[in-house]
Amino acid sequence: MSDAVSDGGSDASHDDGQEDVMTPAELIAKLEEAWLNERFSPELLENRSEVVECVMEQLTHMEENLQRVKKGDAKASIHRMEIDRIRFVLSSYLRSRLQKIEKFFPHVLEREKSRGEGDPSLLSPEEFAFAKEYHTNTESYLKAVALKRMPPNLQAVDLLKTVPEPCLDSFVFLRVKERQENILVEPETDDQREYVVDLEEGSQHLMRYRTISLLVSSGAVQLI
Amino acid sequence: METQSYFPVPPGVAVEENFLSLDDILLTHERLPVRTECAFPRLGFLDKSTDTQDISEGTKMELPLWLSKALYERKRRVLSVELPKVYREGWRTVFNADPNVVDLHKMGPYYYSLGSQLLHFDSPENPDIAQTLLQTFIGRFRRTMDSSQNAYNEDTSALVQRLDSLEKVLFRSGQSGLNDFQSWEKGRAAQLTASTLVLNYRKRKLAEVQP
Amino acid sequence: MDPLEVEFLAEKETVKIIPNFSLDKIYLIGGDLGPFNPGLPVDVPVWLALNLKQRQKCRIVPPEWMDVDKLEETRDLERKEDTFTPAPSPYYMELTKLLLNHASDNIPKADEIRTLVKDIWDTRIAKLRLSADSFISQQEAHAQLDNLTLMEINTIRTFLLDSLNCMYKLRSNLQPASSKGQYADF
Repeated sequence: MSDAVSDGGSDASHDDGQEDVMTPAELIAKLEEAWLNERFSPELLENRSEVVECVMEQLTHMEENLQRVKKGDAKASIHRMEIDRIRFVLSSYLRSRLQKIEKFFPHVLEREKSRGEGDPSLLSPEEFAFAKEYHTNTESYLKAVALKRMPPNLQAVDLLKTVPEPCLDSFVFLRVKERQENILVEPETDDQREYVVDLEEGSQHLMRYRTISLLVSSGAVQLI
Repeated sequence: METQSYFPVPPGVAVEENFLSLDDILLTHERLPVRTECAFPRLGFLDKSTDTQDISEGTKMELPLWLSKALYERKRRVLSVELPKVYREGWRTVFNADPNVVDLHKMGPYYYSLGSQLLHFDSPENPDIAQTLLQTFIGRFRRTMDSSQNAYNEDTSALVQRLDSLEKVLFRSGQSGLNDFQSWEKGRAAQLTASTLVLNYRKRKLAEVQP
Repeated sequence: MDPLEVEFLAEKETVKIIPNFSLDKIYLIGGDLGPFNPGLPVDVPVWLALNLKQRQKCRIVPPEWMDVDKLEETRDLERKEDTFTPAPSPYYMELTKLLLNHASDNIPKADEIRTLVKDIWDTRIAKLRLSADSFISQQEAHAQLDNLTLMEINTIRTFLLDSLNCMYKLRSNLQPASSKGQYADF
């Protein structure tokens, strides 16, 4: 856990210093934030395995406690309901990351390859293994069903070129958590001019993901 | 010569681009009127209308988009591509007057995507084509949205039939948003239904058992 | 997002219940609940309130906004204004459905409330379509939508975002080919 936190330490905008004194309730809120951001962002976001691991710990701990409780205990059934709800968010979060890895695998792996030493990794170790395996499987499948029957000079496929990249120009809906000043909105047409907007705390907006992607990773805005 | 066995056709103006996208593949099969600007020896089989072995310079024929694109070069004129009539000035005037009257399914069905692809071939009309594509999309947006949301509870099938393939995809995504909401509202969403995959699997197993 | 997932988020809202049982404080991962004493109102998340109600262990106190007079006011204002007025609750649609389906006996004039909320919803969705159309036709780059609720956004999300993406691609056609490196690549 402590290692995972210091990994992200190079990014000053993260409130990682706080992470080890987070209450369980704050931890769950962090998981839900990560879940919604991942669901709505066009690209794969940086992994939050430190949050995932802490939530898993909490769940395991709670389940162990529940095993010692008598059957039919009123409190236990309420605890179980809460556990189910947290598990739902957790698996939906991890699943939406896997879906994006499947969709963008060559680019995800490329970014991982070009990552500088000390930069936080986009993928958790498990996700990295998944992405690599998915890449190998896709390549060998294409080879087996089609490519090997092609003329020899046409057997290569560059997956980086054939698999589309995430479109960062997609629009997203967001809610502001920390006030931001002077966000530059690029013009859409030639006869429009660029202009700046202030994002007030609690306000909601529709705009291009590219404009606010850094604010999503810093936690200043929440995708909705 | 490229050594790639797959040539994606950018910029896939589609909702979901994918390197094995069927829409993409169908789009690249759309035929374009072309005129050869030099002789094509031993390629007579490309022109279904004659039995000759070679194609001589100045032959007018139709080629699929993927082939026209592969043969087209800006510097060396191998062939020139004529605009299909729906992208020519006459039709552009119609679109600019009222984009909603046009049956884009009949005129397309890849009006937007093919139009975007045509910009690959140099033509002085390109800026006008690009502008018409955009304005047509914007002009028809309200109709696409209203029909997908069935805002007025009218029969939309006639309207849907006239949508371009891209608009149809949007129509469907609008409709599924509405349907999801309505079945949630009625409480139907809470009932789990067996996936069609499972149902088909059961049928297959049955079929296998039966002699 | 599936509407059920939006409903899932709404179930985290708190609602007042009057339990008919006693139970000590519960220390959930997401925070403490209780203690529960018969006849004494206590705040709980909606998911728990509904579960207790189904097991006939409590009565649910309707949220303040779930009131015929208040909702009539909201409906009239919503119809009068061209812009979105503040919603009765950020989860007004979900909570209405959940509470009316599972606890209608605890909510006075339940049928009237259902109709009013539906009227408010319909008015707002019609406005949402109008704004979506003008966002597209004006080719806007930014819109502020403070009073829209998640469920409202969710019904139009895929359609609007997909349309904006298509429009973006059609607009990028207007750039001269030289700036579009990818044309030449293939």
